[in-house]
Amino acid sequence: MIELLTNLGHWLTSGAQWSGPDGIATRLLEHLQYSALATLVAALIALPVGLLIGHTGRGAFLAINLSGFGRALPTVGLVTLVFLASGLSMWPVYVSLVALAVPVIVTNTYAGMAAVDPEVRDAARGQGMRWHQVLFQVELPLALPLIMTGLRLACTQVVATATIAAYVSFGGLGRYVFDGLAQRDLVQVLGGAVLVAVLAIALDLALAAVQRLAFRNRPAPSQAH
Amino acid sequence: MNRRKLLGGLLAGASVPTLAACSGGITSLKGDGAGGGQGGGSSAGGLVIGTANFTENQLLGYLYAEALGGAGIKTSVRPNLGSREIVIPALQQGDIDLLPEYQGNLLLHFDDKAPQTQAGDLQNALTVALPNGLEALSYAAAEDKDVFCVTRETADKHGLRSFSDLKKQNGKLVFGGPAEDKNRVVGLVGLKNRYGVTFKEFKALDASGPLVKGALKKGDVDVANLFSTDPDIEANGWVILADPKALIPAQHIVPVIRGAKADTKVRKALAKLGGALTTHELARLNKLVDKEKKDPDEVAADWAADHGLTKK
Repeated sequence: MIELLTNLGHWLTSGAQWSGPDGIATRLLEHLQYSALATLVAALIALPVGLLIGHTGRGAFLAINLSGFGRALPTVGLVTLVFLASGLSMWPVYVSLVALAVPVIVTNTYAGMAAVDPEVRDAARGQGMRWHQVLFQVELPLALPLIMTGLRLACTQVVATATIAAYVSFGGLGRYVFDGLAQRDLVQVLGGAVLVAVLAIALDLALAAVQRLAFRNRPAPSQAH
Repeated sequence: MNRRKLLGGLLAGASVPTLAACSGGITSLKGDGAGGGQGGGSSAGGLVIGTANFTENQLLGYLYAEALGGAGIKTSVRPNLGSREIVIPALQQGDIDLLPEYQGNLLLHFDDKAPQTQAGDLQNALTVALPNGLEALSYAAAEDKDVFCVTRETADKHGLRSFSDLKKQNGKLVFGGPAEDKNRVVGLVGLKNRYGVTFKEFKALDASGPLVKGALKKGDVDVANLFSTDPDIEANGWVILADPKALIPAQHIVPVIRGAKADTKVRKALAKLGGALTTHELARLNKLVDKEKKDPDEVAADWAADHGLTKK
């Protein structure tokens, strides 16, 4: 056990391991690239949907249940399915990562919008604000903390799951996990796993800090309504 | 007096081992009578057959049960126990008595530097390498080994029939297989060192699974590492490239048994099964279970009856 940890330490800190096309630096960048693009696309799909159903109050049942369905999708199964349809490309990776992130963002955005005090909304309308003014100047700012939480959760999940890119022959930190398992190289498996975990936690903490900074003058949104 | 004493002593001394030999003879006769003759062990108490956690190995376990049942030996099957790291210790500890194995991989499990790749050499090496108490019986005609395949079109286009032919396309073809292929001898390293073959790119996919087969079908990879008993090879008309320098170790199905249970009846029953079971037949049985969703024990029972191993 001690020996394993020592070897793991060497693996994580050796300069040779960090450089080159198979090096940690390259894999880390690939991993971030997959994760960033997937989260961005997911946000572009999920935010409008969440805002719309939150604003109109319509379609919530359908959207939330579809989201639940999306969360239950086994990612590896989805990767294989898309792979068989699309062939060897990045499509399987992005489709499954986006499918993973969309439900979290939709449900959190909707929750944020639903938590906006109806009296505030009525007051805004009563002052003669148009629907888009109500949405963007009243509801959205109030819902923003929960929306941010959704984005943060999605980001963490995507980073932790982007290892599946290696399952279909691509890079990212998952390469170490899959190659290590195939070569019975436990140190490499653990090294990859540790890097993914550290990356996910670091991103989560960083986004949490941004969130705290942005909303430091605001009381926590109450969901008691 | 002295002489008589000596004689008496001799007689007395001799009688003890004789008696011991007699009683030993009686017990061993008993064992032989029930077990059917030479071979060291006895199957009289029945055999527990274990299998690893994949379809083909389970099928083989049930086939063993049918073949032994046909020879009047009681068996029970414990399918799906796990990987080699689990089933071999189970065999050594006597939790199971018999296990369907694969020559090359089994030898590497006990001796990871073993150089043998041909069936006969592997069988001899196994006899030496297996730990005390375990024994490899006659191997089957059927073999589940790594094969490197190309599509019919690729084979015709580049005139590919064997690994040697791949050299003409050095740096142009894409190889797909499980991640371990990149760094092992039965993979890119061996192809390069023994045949001088290099590829444009290596794609780490799965082991004869949906990914690598899908990629081969779509042309995303040109050469794919598959298993010889994969029914999709025949279904798609894929070409198995020949291996004239015997790079890839033979993987004939071989029964591994606890010596204590190995008697002539068991040996003969399993050898008879091994003679009838070809790679083509095993691939067909795999397909019945994997594609047509039949139960492995029923598939095994039907096959054994059709091939005269059991009475219908």
